[in-house]
Amino acid sequence: MKSQQYSFELKNDLSELETLNQHLIKFGQSSGLSEACLTDINICLDELFTNIVCYGFKDDQEHITRFVLNLENNRLTLVIEDEGIPFNPLEKEDPEIPDDLIDVRIGGLGIHIVRKLMDELHYERKNGKNKLTLKKMSNLF
Amino acid sequence: MEIEHRVENEILVFAIKGRLDAATASTAEETIKQTMAEDTRRLLFDLSALEYLSSGGLRVILGAAKEIRRREGKVALAALTPYVFEIFEVSGFTAMIPIKDTVEEAFKDLAS
Repeated sequence: MKSQQYSFELKNDLSELETLNQHLIKFGQSSGLSEACLTDINICLDELFTNIVCYGFKDDQEHITRFVLNLENNRLTLVIEDEGIPFNPLEKEDPEIPDDLIDVRIGGLGIHIVRKLMDELHYERKNGKNKLTLKKMSNLF
Repeated sequence: MEIEHRVENEILVFAIKGRLDAATASTAEETIKQTMAEDTRRLLFDLSALEYLSSGGLRVILGAAKEIRRREGKVALAALTPYVFEIFEVSGFTAMIPIKDTVEEAFKDLAS
C-alpha cells in the first residue's frame, strides 16, 4: 500500500474546527481509514487545536497551525506544529475522575481523551514552535 | 449545531443535533442556562442526532448535569451514537450519568 500524506493549515480561530472536519473527510476518502478511526483523529486534532487557539497566544494576531497526516505501513502519524508559547500538553497529569458527578472538575479532559485514543504521543519544542506527534497503529481500517 | 427544547411531564428535554465542539459549545451552554428554570429538577438530553462531541461539548452537558445533581434532581442521556458514547466512555463518565438507549427509556428512568 502506497504511503499517503496530507497536510493543511488552520488559522487560530475556533471556527476553523469545521475546516478541520472537511480536511479529514478528504483524507478519509483517499486513505480508506474507517469512519471510527477518522472520528478518533478528528477528536484528537480538535482537542489539541482548541487548546492552541484558547491558550497558545497572548496577542490578537493571526497565527497558523500546521497539520501533517501520514499513513504508511499501517501506521498513522499526525504532526501538529504551532508557533504559540512553549507548551507541552503531555506534561499535564490526567485528571482523576472521581466517583461522583458533583466532584468532577471540568478541565483537562482534552489531553486525557487524546491519550486514550492514540497509541503514542511525543512533544518537542523546535525552531520556536511546539511540535506534537501522535501515532496510531490499531483500529485504522 | 442545533439545540431544541421542550418540557414533557415536568422533564426538561434538550435535543442537541449536529456537532458539539468548542466552537458551538458556548451557544449550547447559553441556551441551556437561559432555558433551565430555577425549579427544573428533571433533565433529559436527547442525543440521537448528535453526530460529534469533543471535550468542549462534553463540558456543557456535564455542567448542566452537575447543576441538576446539586439540586438533588435527576439527569439522563438518551440514544447516544457509538462515537459520542465512546467519548463519554473514554472520559470515564459512563458510570456517573445514566445513559439510556432510547428517549422512552430515559423518560421512564426520570419519571421514577
